Amino acid sequence: MSLLKPFSKLPGLNTANILLVENEEQFQQKLADTVVLQEKTVNVNVRLARSLPLPMENEESRPRIDLVVFIIHLTSELSFQSAETSLKYLDPGYFQGKVCFLVTSARNVSVPPERLVSVRTLAASLHCPLLCAEDQTTEGVTTAARRLLAILKVAAGLVPMATGLYLSTLTRCTVPSDIDQQNFE
Amino acid sequence: MDDSTKRILQRLMRRIPSQMLQTMLGKWAHLSREDLHSLDFTQPKWVLTEHLLALCEENGLRVKHITELEMIYIIENPNQGMWHGFQLLDAEEDAPSIELTQFKKQFKANLTELISNVSIKIKKHTDEAIWIRVAWGDNFTKPNHLKPTYVVHHLQTPYVFVTGLTSKYKPLLNQALVLATRYGSMKDAHLSGRNLTAIRDLLMRQYQQVFPTKNPKPLQEKNPVPRNPNIEKEHAENTENRLQIACEAFGDGTLPQLQKAVYKLETKFRDNSNKTLTGREEPFRGVVEFASTNLLESLRHCVSSGMASTPVTPLLSSITQKGRNYFVITDKGV
Repeated sequence: MSLLKPFSKLPGLNTANILLVENEEQFQQKLADTVVLQEKTVNVNVRLARSLPLPMENEESRPRIDLVVFIIHLTSELSFQSAETSLKYLDPGYFQGKVCFLVTSARNVSVPPERLVSVRTLAASLHCPLLCAEDQTTEGVTTAARRLLAILKVAAGLVPMATGLYLSTLTRCTVPSDIDQQNFE
Repeated sequence: MDDSTKRILQRLMRRIPSQMLQTMLGKWAHLSREDLHSLDFTQPKWVLTEHLLALCEENGLRVKHITELEMIYIIENPNQGMWHGFQLLDAEEDAPSIELTQFKKQFKANLTELISNVSIKIKKHTDEAIWIRVAWGDNFTKPNHLKPTYVVHHLQTPYVFVTGLTSKYKPLLNQALVLATRYGSMKDAHLSGRNLTAIRDLLMRQYQQVFPTKNPKPLQEKNPVPRNPNIEKEHAENTENRLQIACEAFGDGTLPQLQKAVYKLETKFRDNSNKTLTGREEPFRGVVEFASTNLLESLRHCVSSGMASTPVTPLLSSITQKGRNYFVITDKGV
């Protein structure tokens, strides 16, 4: 199986590489443009993919991926299923702080609430952070880009004293049943 | 002007939108310049209609002049009502050399022979299309101008487009057209839609088609869109392939605007989990209908974005390849 491995290649100097995986291929382009514009100090490379596994032809030219972001649109069930099947092609080494879930349309009334719950359970079981993003306005895209950059820099090892694993213990997603119910009597 | 004529004019005025009224009346050319100037187009439409009625009375205009106005309006705005495409078959030897006057004479003669009380108007449009307006009547009634049939035919092509035809008069129109164009018969092309230009483009293949090539990469001279070197697509080749296949099946650029595709199924029910319906001998009748404001555009997007798997199923691509949007599917094939 062609797993994507986190440490099989050498890192670049002052470089961070992020992979955006999205079934619809719409939001990732806007996000990529904003991410590259926002970051001035570090050289950020963005790779866009529809799903995993990634094509073998790019294996040689592909740099080491520091952060894999799964973009899930809650308005479509297919989006979630595609992300789930892509997870199988990631080496387990990625789940120690190098994977992140980004969800859009979480506030949308027409979205069934069970979908968000299932995404949260998935993220919680994998110990990954779950970000909610607003993809219709420029401010929403900029905010999402900044948050991703913060996580990316830690995952790429560019922030002193912080590693991806350390950060993920702080930012990992929790499902409401995990939280102590006794506070609510 | 009698009551029915007045009613026809009133109906027509209600139908024409206010913005187009001035140009239409100008093109009509049955009102003198002074009369046209005397009409105040800023007034509400009903006031204008009254004024126009008075002018028509003065000039002694009759039904045939009013129907001319209607025809001008429909020719300028053909994309309303439901148009159906027909194809003429079995051309005789002199079919390609039919020209306008001969066609007009023959058609009028044939139709009036078949049914005595008809009102026919034939007009040639600038783009080589012949427009025919037919108002049908019986042996005892005058032609009904409120429900006319419009026929569009391009000479030297075997295609005819019709709107507003009831099944009662269909065989009569068929016969008249077939005899006038010197063909053997006329059959239904199974293509219908609201947009005449779309149906015509689809049937006569006048949209931008894409043919399969060995080297689909664009020419080097074209300036590529400046891409950010930091952003790279993993599945770029896949995306290009999908776009190419989608365009091959449906066309490039602006596509003809179809509203519906209907598939009538007469196949046997096949699902192993449902025993009651599967074993039956008779076919399971069902109808699948795709509807959209621009159906071909949506289908092309489905294929190019990967929602529909490639290669494109012949059921969908035959909409453009065969120029139809009504299919009957039996177990032996389409």
